[in-house]
Amino acid sequence: MVVKEFIEARSQLQGQIQQLTGSYDGYVWSQWFSKNGPDILAILAAVLGASLIASEVNKGTIFFLLSKPVSRDRVLLTKYLVSVLILLGVSLLSGVAILVASAMVGHPQNVGGVLISTILLWLGMLFVLGLALLFSVLFHDVLRPLIFSLLFTLLLSIPGLISNATLNAWNLTFYWSSFAAYQGTMFPLKALLICLVAALVPVLLAIPLFRKQAY
Amino acid sequence: MEAVNQTGAASKASAAIELHNLEVKYGERSAVNDLSLTVPAGAIFGFLGPNGAGKTTTIKTMLGLRKPDGGSVCVLGYDAVMQSLEVRARVGYMSEVNSLYDFLTIPQHCAFCRSVSRQWDQEMVDRYVSLFGLPTNRKVGKFSKGMKSQLALSLLMGSNPDLLILDEPTAGLDPVARHQFLNHLVAEIAAQGKTIFFSSHILSEVEAVADWVGIIRDGKLIVCDELDHLKQTQKVLKLTYVELPPAAEVTMLRSLPGVMSLEQEGRSVRLLTHGDVESLSQTIQARSHALRNVDIVDLDLEDLFLKYMKEESNGR
Repeated sequence: MVVKEFIEARSQLQGQIQQLTGSYDGYVWSQWFSKNGPDILAILAAVLGASLIASEVNKGTIFFLLSKPVSRDRVLLTKYLVSVLILLGVSLLSGVAILVASAMVGHPQNVGGVLISTILLWLGMLFVLGLALLFSVLFHDVLRPLIFSLLFTLLLSIPGLISNATLNAWNLTFYWSSFAAYQGTMFPLKALLICLVAALVPVLLAIPLFRKQAY
Repeated sequence: MEAVNQTGAASKASAAIELHNLEVKYGERSAVNDLSLTVPAGAIFGFLGPNGAGKTTTIKTMLGLRKPDGGSVCVLGYDAVMQSLEVRARVGYMSEVNSLYDFLTIPQHCAFCRSVSRQWDQEMVDRYVSLFGLPTNRKVGKFSKGMKSQLALSLLMGSNPDLLILDEPTAGLDPVARHQFLNHLVAEIAAQGKTIFFSSHILSEVEAVADWVGIIRDGKLIVCDELDHLKQTQKVLKLTYVELPPAAEVTMLRSLPGVMSLEQEGRSVRLLTHGDVESLSQTIQARSHALRNVDIVDLDLEDLFLKYMKEESNGR
């Protein structure tokens, strides 16, 4: 039963991909916002997040940092915000590159659609960053937060392999890569809110954990 | 909060650090056990103990890096748990591991410290940096261990702390660098009236610098006193007999009041004594066994340390 459903879903997905890649817009969206963008940015987010605290502990610089008269909340949030801005910069840069490159080859893209898709992707990646930060507070080496955050993100994307509306509602990747938003046919308010909440949860968990952590 | 501050202000003149029945656990294992300690303001306090005795854990608790499982920690009149930021604003801490950023230069470290410190005296830092002859254009990662320690000390001085807590500050330094570091510590910093609390397991350096000493073992403080007082009350009596003293005489010496321990090497007997060593010496000289030489010598810290370690081992 499950196998049959999976085969059906796979052929449906292949049909959708063929349909999408048939157009330039669909091709660009599928290549960046649906596939390579999340992969590359998720790795970048995990690397940034995993090293935020664990690297300081590993190198011993945490003692230099925490012996200063600043609260742990400020230390954590400052470091997190720097990574958030780095991710935003990279995401925006990729969006601009898509707009410029598409215009150069004679397929100008919808600026609003690219911008909103870029923001959605960035918010989605903040979830990975937050997750890596949470693990970075828990573990004192960089490798485990990196691996665990990427594994957890991969696990969350499994429901996306089966084209099922109920499962997709629980699939975060479904929200951070919306083709309708890219085309500019709809404003993805629900997706934005879900990605925003998902991004905040791990950070809100990491703050009290870091406050209590003994070094 | 107000009450703690007032109490703190009142006690600040007399005690820089007050620990009462401190208890810190790592899981089920007790790292610090019922430790009570007072460090007077302006003192240079040497915190001695073998590796794993609980020195670093005690220091981390003072700075609020680790919460105690029991007891209280008061630093410069502030509760180290509830008022950790106030403590850290007034304390300069140097950890046992190199905690500086390898990819930053000295000016970049200064800029960072300035941004997170309540007050910053760049002239003071520059003075120490030039005193130690540290290169300002090189990244800290290329510094030697000694240079890193010197930079850490220079940076501490930038925030003009009332108390310096140094965890094994000379560990890994060669004898010349260690000597230079300690000289500056005493001549420059202690002379300014700042309290210095430093941990070490190098007895000679504690003896050369400290005026107070605390010895910790297995998380328990086994002695805490002024070094001079310890030396005044405890002396070594060196006896050289003309002939090998009989076993009965040695047993008798061991049982004399004021004798804490006895070591014999042939005709030489070394007594670790407590109290009136002069009258003890006279008592021994009045006995029938002829002595070639009697010397009363000051106890060095190594003798003291070994004695306390031995006592604790026997007591366990």
